[in-house]
Amino acid sequence: MGRFRARAALAIAAIAGGLVLTLRGQVADLSRLQILQNVGLTAVDEGVIVDQSHLSGSPGSARRAGFHATLEQAGTSSGVARFRPGRVLVRFRDEASMAERRAAVRMASASGEIGTRPSYADFDVVQLNPSEDAEAAARVLSQRPEVQYAQVAHRVRATMVPNDPLYATMQWNLPMLNLEKAWDIQPAAGSTITVAVIDTGMAYQNATITATIPAFRDDQGTLYPALGTVTIPYSAAPQLVNAANAGRIIMPFDFVTNGARPPLDFEGHGTHVSGTIGQLTNDGVGTAGVAFNVKLMPLKALASDWDVLFGAATDVGGFDDDIARALHYAADNGAKIINMSLGSSGPANCATNANQPECSPVIEAAMRYAVGKGCFVTVAGGNEFEDNIPPFGTNPTSILAEIASRVPGVVSVAAVNRGKDHAFYSSTGSYIELSAPGGDVRGFGLAGAIYQQTFDPNFTDTFLLPPAQYHAPRFDVMGFIPYQGTSMASPHVAGVAAMLMQQGVTDPAVIEEVLEKTAVDLGAAGRDNTFGFGLVDARAALRGLGLAK
Amino acid sequence: MTRIVFLLLGLTLAAPAAAQDEPSLSIRPFFLVTDQSFAAVDTFDAAFGKTYFPFFGGGGQVVFKGTYFVEITASRFQENGERSYFSGGKAFKLGIPLTATITPIEVTGGYRFRLPTLPRVRPYVAAGFGSYGYQETSSFADAGDNVDTRHAGFVVNGGAEFRLHRWIGVAVDVQYTHIPGILGTGGVSQQTGESDLGGVAARFKAIVGR
Repeated sequence: MGRFRARAALAIAAIAGGLVLTLRGQVADLSRLQILQNVGLTAVDEGVIVDQSHLSGSPGSARRAGFHATLEQAGTSSGVARFRPGRVLVRFRDEASMAERRAAVRMASASGEIGTRPSYADFDVVQLNPSEDAEAAARVLSQRPEVQYAQVAHRVRATMVPNDPLYATMQWNLPMLNLEKAWDIQPAAGSTITVAVIDTGMAYQNATITATIPAFRDDQGTLYPALGTVTIPYSAAPQLVNAANAGRIIMPFDFVTNGARPPLDFEGHGTHVSGTIGQLTNDGVGTAGVAFNVKLMPLKALASDWDVLFGAATDVGGFDDDIARALHYAADNGAKIINMSLGSSGPANCATNANQPECSPVIEAAMRYAVGKGCFVTVAGGNEFEDNIPPFGTNPTSILAEIASRVPGVVSVAAVNRGKDHAFYSSTGSYIELSAPGGDVRGFGLAGAIYQQTFDPNFTDTFLLPPAQYHAPRFDVMGFIPYQGTSMASPHVAGVAAMLMQQGVTDPAVIEEVLEKTAVDLGAAGRDNTFGFGLVDARAALRGLGLAK
Repeated sequence: MTRIVFLLLGLTLAAPAAAQDEPSLSIRPFFLVTDQSFAAVDTFDAAFGKTYFPFFGGGGQVVFKGTYFVEITASRFQENGERSYFSGGKAFKLGIPLTATITPIEVTGGYRFRLPTLPRVRPYVAAGFGSYGYQETSSFADAGDNVDTRHAGFVVNGGAEFRLHRWIGVAVDVQYTHIPGILGTGGVSQQTGESDLGGVAARFKAIVGR
């Protein structure tokens, strides 16, 4: 018996080892993930979940970060990649012929080929051998006269500072924006407006998932066994979508799998962000949302840990090309507000020299396209105030937020805490334009966080458990979970903008102007690098101006 | 309008000569209707969708020797519109009801000319000052949000009076008012850069008295 156990253990170890090797360096394998849409039970609602395992600096948070890194290493060939290997995003000048374009590519890379232009892209993707230096190729291409810009596909991440631990008791954030009086002005709360949420997806429908989950090693080298093929329950967040308002979901799309799977959230971030924008309100359940009647367009462009383990993605996070395509998609399919609770760090001078590593001209072009189509865009200001991100140092420039500050109709949003002061993590700089509540547990405890309905991490983040307790996740247990980050601040502004657009201000640049002029000045008098023009005042923005006052 | 002018001229010419007799001092009440084009074009257009509005009022004149006069006028304008924003030359109406009320009290002094060939027509010019009340109320207002203020301005006008009867006359004139201090420091008027609540008005007065 003992011998049999030893053999079985060896066999399991061998299989597991093989699967670990298989996981590392492989491309996405969608055959491992099947989703039977609209088949599943409604979510179990556990109410408020006081879970401190996601608090910034907690052991749980550290383990999650390490686990992310492990999966990123599994999906890429050289450590935690700052960009997607094997591709350069290029916008050729219109007058350049195809022959000239190909010649330019050959000058930059021996293996470079211009691929078929992806949907919702105004740029081309030059495919390289993954072992080639994509940054070097982008640098050469950006110097070519045929090229408007060339860049690698930078990795972007959700900007929430993980904070895993209702209106009158817990949502200090909504009254801070003077929303009660804004709702008096517009009880319809954005009912005619579609808000696109570019994020980790959204829990917008019930489903039954069949996934084949391989073994993996965490950041400590601990082996987690393969779970084989498992059936996983998945439910819509009932405070986002229920039988009475199923029509609020508009044109969902998953850019991680290029539309091969529905944009279901396997992380919780996108669902939480969507809740702040449009959580069902006045229904006697849970929390409230800002523009609680808006239509929602879930656009999944950020992959989560489970996306990687399910074989739907190679890396955690997202990349510039998917974000840019999502911006085009949203603008072309009727969205009027786009929320981007995501970001990346880079140099401070992309405004004067966009063709340098870490700048993202492809996203700037996509933002300008979206604004040109009448979309107002909100971007998280960044969570790196205390973080040292080599080579950019502490409090580095948040690239997407910096772009936002240069595009009228796109705003970068910093986070304030419950005391209307700077949230400890919120990045500062000349690119910060507005402030909104982002949550801050430092000094306020869990009462200082932003609560919305999303997955109970105790049922989803099973990879943080010891291997013996590790099991398949469940995405059908929901609770009101505390989060903090500029990811949480940005959707507050998106919600107010949706209400403002429904009220009659249809020009994105004017929406920005209005939000900035009606903001409550915080910090140093006038615009400053911590709070921008100040804290958004929903009532002042929606009520507009008389002749004299 | 042309028909009205011809009718007035006809009535003037048809009036008995006695109507032209003028006492050394006369006190003459009148009713007033004006059509004012506001100087703050973009501001009024943003709130009301147009810039021409009527004022209704009345007043009294004291005329000395038929030539010099002092006039006091009180009138009122009230219009319902919407709160709005103005940017890039375009107004964005918000559907929130707004009511603006202007109550001018103007005092002018002037001179009446004599036309030997048309004794029943008395051209005149006048200038003076006014106190202009401005009230702005709108829905969803908190304490202090509405406006209730009064500022001084100045006024000049010129026109002609037509004697229809010994005791009845009419006057038509054009009046320019300049009213600083109410617009320009807040609201849409700050966005449009307009600071004058005045404008140019065509006025019609029905005068009772000699």
